[in-house]
Amino acid sequence: MIRSEDRDLADVLNSLPLPDEALIFVANSAVSDGWTAVLDELTAAYQLSQAAVRSGGPIVYLVESDDLLGRRGIGSAMVACGLLSAARTLALETARAGSPVNVIALGTATTQDSLRVWVELLCRPDGPSGELIRLGADHLGKALP
Amino acid sequence: MRARLEGAAVVTGAAGGIGLAICRRLAASGATVVAVDVADRLGATVADLESSGAAVIGVQADLTTAGGLDAVLGSLDRTGVALRTIVNNAGITRDARLVNMTAEDFRVVLEVNLGVAQRLIELLLPRLEHGTIVNISSRAYLGNFGQFNYSMSKGALLGLTRALALALAPAVRVNAVAPGLIGTEMSMAIPEDVRAKMVAAIPLGRMGQPEEVAETVAFLASEDSAYITGEVITVGGGRSLSR
Repeated sequence: MIRSEDRDLADVLNSLPLPDEALIFVANSAVSDGWTAVLDELTAAYQLSQAAVRSGGPIVYLVESDDLLGRRGIGSAMVACGLLSAARTLALETARAGSPVNVIALGTATTQDSLRVWVELLCRPDGPSGELIRLGADHLGKALP
Repeated sequence: MRARLEGAAVVTGAAGGIGLAICRRLAASGATVVAVDVADRLGATVADLESSGAAVIGVQADLTTAGGLDAVLGSLDRTGVALRTIVNNAGITRDARLVNMTAEDFRVVLEVNLGVAQRLIELLLPRLEHGTIVNISSRAYLGNFGQFNYSMSKGALLGLTRALALALAPAVRVNAVAPGLIGTEMSMAIPEDVRAKMVAAIPLGRMGQPEEVAETVAFLASEDSAYITGEVITVGGGRSLSR
């Protein structure tokens, strides 16, 4: 399942040889600062993640590095940081089943090739789980949430 | 004793163990406390604070409703002093593994732990010309088995903290506190054998006390932390490092 409001990103992700039960959830970086919009986005993550976990699939949440740092507004920051914490918890819950749950933070200079490599790697059962991979250079010298 | 606090401090979740300790500590530093909680026991909390000489107004209100938020505004006006501090402490848990978590348990935890904070800040910001916001997150933002909803809400609260810190500087500083296992009614309800295992994993060898969280909040609310914004301080006895 590829969930992405960004069509270019969706095309890249759909071209990958991922397991059928995998969930790649791209946070909507255009989410407004209103509470309803934030709750809707996080609820979508809850619903799709629950389905993926029930089918034993790997999960990758894609967020923007700027949003983890709170640089583009409160709505997108709440969603990005909420997904990171959710991934950490879910990684604990799925550890025995061997289904990885990870987060990729996209920087402004992230290439499609780099994204492909990391999404594929993070969907492997022998890959890492509970990790945040920050691509690009926007995060260098900045604090992790 | 830390720097004195001026003006009013709005504290949500005021009737709980950590909330009461925060109210008491901020009042002791000179703040006029607007203590907000949905629970009936808020009356006893306010009486407790008043008996120690605190300047406090209690607001029993459900902050998930527009009426509840309006009640906070009305009480703030009654203090007759300027708003200087907001402490978002209200929080609940509805634990389950994600595979079994109901949509309602997901929604209500997000609504109370995150939505209330976001909307209260939005409501009060026009009255906070300068001052501080302290959001009470949780060590669970680093992940905690069976707490997908809670962990997500507390992590998102850090996102809110970061974004507001950037948006409101330099007039308003925004920080977060992430308590670990604290000796509150909620923690004491955990079966003793389970609690003992949890304590055994804490390098400092004990649960924290609500007053220790309150002390950190008072620091972040005061001028003693004048060069700190957008940060989270974990009050967890070293649990974030141990096995």
